[in-house]
Amino acid sequence: MHSEPLNDRNVSEQSPYYYVDIEEYPTTGWDKFKQVVKRTFRGELFVGLWVVMRELVKFNIHTVKYPLEKLPIGPRYRAVHKLLRLWESGYERCIGCGLCEKICISDCIRMDTKIDENSRKEVTEYSINLGRCIFCGYCAEVCPELAIVHGQRYENGSEQRSHFVIKDDMLTPLDFLTSGQQTEYPGFGSINPNESVTKTPLAY
Amino acid sequence: MDMAFIIETIVKIVVILLVFSALAGLGTYFERKVLAFMQRRLGPMHVGPFGLLQVAADGIKLFTKEDIIPQNVVKPIFKIAPVITAATAFMASAAIPFWPQFTAFGYTVHPIVADVNIGILYVLGVMAIGLYGPLLGGMASANKFSLISAARSAAVFISYEVISGLSLLAPLMMVGSLSLVDINNYQAGGIGNWIVWSQPVAFILFWIAAFAETGRTPFHLVANDHEIIDGFGTEYSGMRWGLFFIGEYANMFFISFVIAIIFLGGFGDGTIAGAFQLLLKVAFFFFFFLWTRAAWPDVRPDQLMWLCWKVLMPIAVINVVITGLVMMF
Amino acid sequence: MFEAIAFYLFATLITVMFTITVMTSQALYALTAMAAGMIFISAFFFILGADFLGAIQIIVYTGAVMAIYAFGMMFFDTTRNVIEKRSNPRFVIVLGAFAAVLVVFIVLAPIVTTNLEAHYPIDLAVGNTQAIGMVLFTKYLVPFELAAIMLLVAMIAGIVLAGKKMDKSLTLMAEEEIALMHASSVSETLEEGAH
Repeated sequence: MHSEPLNDRNVSEQSPYYYVDIEEYPTTGWDKFKQVVKRTFRGELFVGLWVVMRELVKFNIHTVKYPLEKLPIGPRYRAVHKLLRLWESGYERCIGCGLCEKICISDCIRMDTKIDENSRKEVTEYSINLGRCIFCGYCAEVCPELAIVHGQRYENGSEQRSHFVIKDDMLTPLDFLTSGQQTEYPGFGSINPNESVTKTPLAY
Repeated sequence: MDMAFIIETIVKIVVILLVFSALAGLGTYFERKVLAFMQRRLGPMHVGPFGLLQVAADGIKLFTKEDIIPQNVVKPIFKIAPVITAATAFMASAAIPFWPQFTAFGYTVHPIVADVNIGILYVLGVMAIGLYGPLLGGMASANKFSLISAARSAAVFISYEVISGLSLLAPLMMVGSLSLVDINNYQAGGIGNWIVWSQPVAFILFWIAAFAETGRTPFHLVANDHEIIDGFGTEYSGMRWGLFFIGEYANMFFISFVIAIIFLGGFGDGTIAGAFQLLLKVAFFFFFFLWTRAAWPDVRPDQLMWLCWKVLMPIAVINVVITGLVMMF
Repeated sequence: MFEAIAFYLFATLITVMFTITVMTSQALYALTAMAAGMIFISAFFFILGADFLGAIQIIVYTGAVMAIYAFGMMFFDTTRNVIEKRSNPRFVIVLGAFAAVLVVFIVLAPIVTTNLEAHYPIDLAVGNTQAIGMVLFTKYLVPFELAAIMLLVAMIAGIVLAGKKMDKSLTLMAEEEIALMHASSVSETLEEGAH
């Protein structure tokens, strides 16, 4: 793009900025009258009429019929969170480290963990208060296991806010995973589904 | 007075009321569709085929909405103001010949409620009373935006009545009658006889004044959304606001009829073709009201007054004088 | 029969409307009632077959004069009742009654002995509008033109009174200029007072 010359905000020969040519504001009655006559008979009004009539005849409608059609959203769009599973085993990726809870600047993530029978940490409860969440994306950024990511689901109409944010709703269902519908965050540091995020070993 | 005449008149009044109430509703649909297409949108789509039943949905909404009367308003005046707007709009229709006379089942029908011989004066007078709707509504509302709107409506209506009256004077001098039927018959000879060819200036002036008197977009100062909320309608809700709405759209239709009859030959010689031509002309003028709303920006109130008193009124007076001189010699 | 019914109906309505205009302490009631009364008066013209005068009555009195009154009303808070100060109500009542009787006497005195007769009866061959034009521009030409000149004088006087300093725009002037203008106008009035 033209970012280089646009950095120079001064009006000069080199810069693309220039002063808009604005006519003197008429002060005397005669000047005002001349302005009105000019504007009336130069046909500016008819230019306006012609432009809108052209659009009416061309019938080039730009409306997106929203519930039926949807615009694509960017891959890095930050909508309601998702908790992902490991591809090869189907285990939850979340290791209950609590970093997301710590980094959350609006303090809306709450998690409970316990030590399970394999002495791994298991997340028993995980919830995000969407009334407080500002969708800053820090939780997804800080997550060492790529376990919590932002999904693409922006239609949040429901009777209860909590319908989107308890763990069962965010976690990828197992049948989704097996049918390959779990998507990976495609940005920096993401993994390829053909590679794998493996379970963190307990001991080396 | 025989009974048949009274019954016929009552039937005509009821028909006009029903037809134009429905047309006012459909007018909002056309306005939304035309504006949408001009702005590359689709407009109402989902209620009924092509959104046609949106009108009915809006009507049901308006009728069933709670009628809120705020605490500090002057209650009787506040309640009666929308009725004045709607009533005067329909009263003005009494002297307008909507259609040439025709014979149905051996009975000759004159599609005009009262063929008074001062038709156009009556229409102008009743439209002048229409000013009281916004004026009283705004003054009774105990709201500053409503009050500003009331002041503007008083100023605009009084000023532009001068323009509409003076601009009509020249064609009336040529015709020599104030009856809309006479004016129509004067132009019965065809397109060459239309008054717009001999009085183009008066035509333009009256058209401009029509925009001011119906409060449509280039002169939409009385209820200018981005400055004074909804003006006199700010405190209204439900059907009282709906009556203002019906009055505005009915006024647009009636003033379109008046322009078409006075300047563009009306229904011509009274054949069916002429009658449909009249409807086409009215449709064009109504469409133009919507067209300008999509195309033109609003003017400032002081510019509107300046335009009225320093530009349009002198032109109108000069037009009258020149017409008189030409007719005398 | 219709005429009689219409006459008594509108006579009652007019009386009620103007009574409200006088008696109420709410400016908007007075305004609305007076405007309505003016419209009802035009009904009499229509009953008498004077369509032109009826329409003119509506346009001039209701459309223009009452609207100007309404414009004046905007300087007050019309949503509040006006508190009237009556220092001597008996005096006002006596004076009002005397004025009313006087008006009735003035109107009735010339016609109480003679029967009313129309000087210009309706001629069906000539339209109502044309008849008024004939009378205005022949017999009453001088009063008509005098009234026109008076209105013109009033209009010019109004423009002159209201149009002082209208060539200066407060929005385009700097603060100092406005202060200077105010100061000079104050000194002018002081000088005038000294003379």
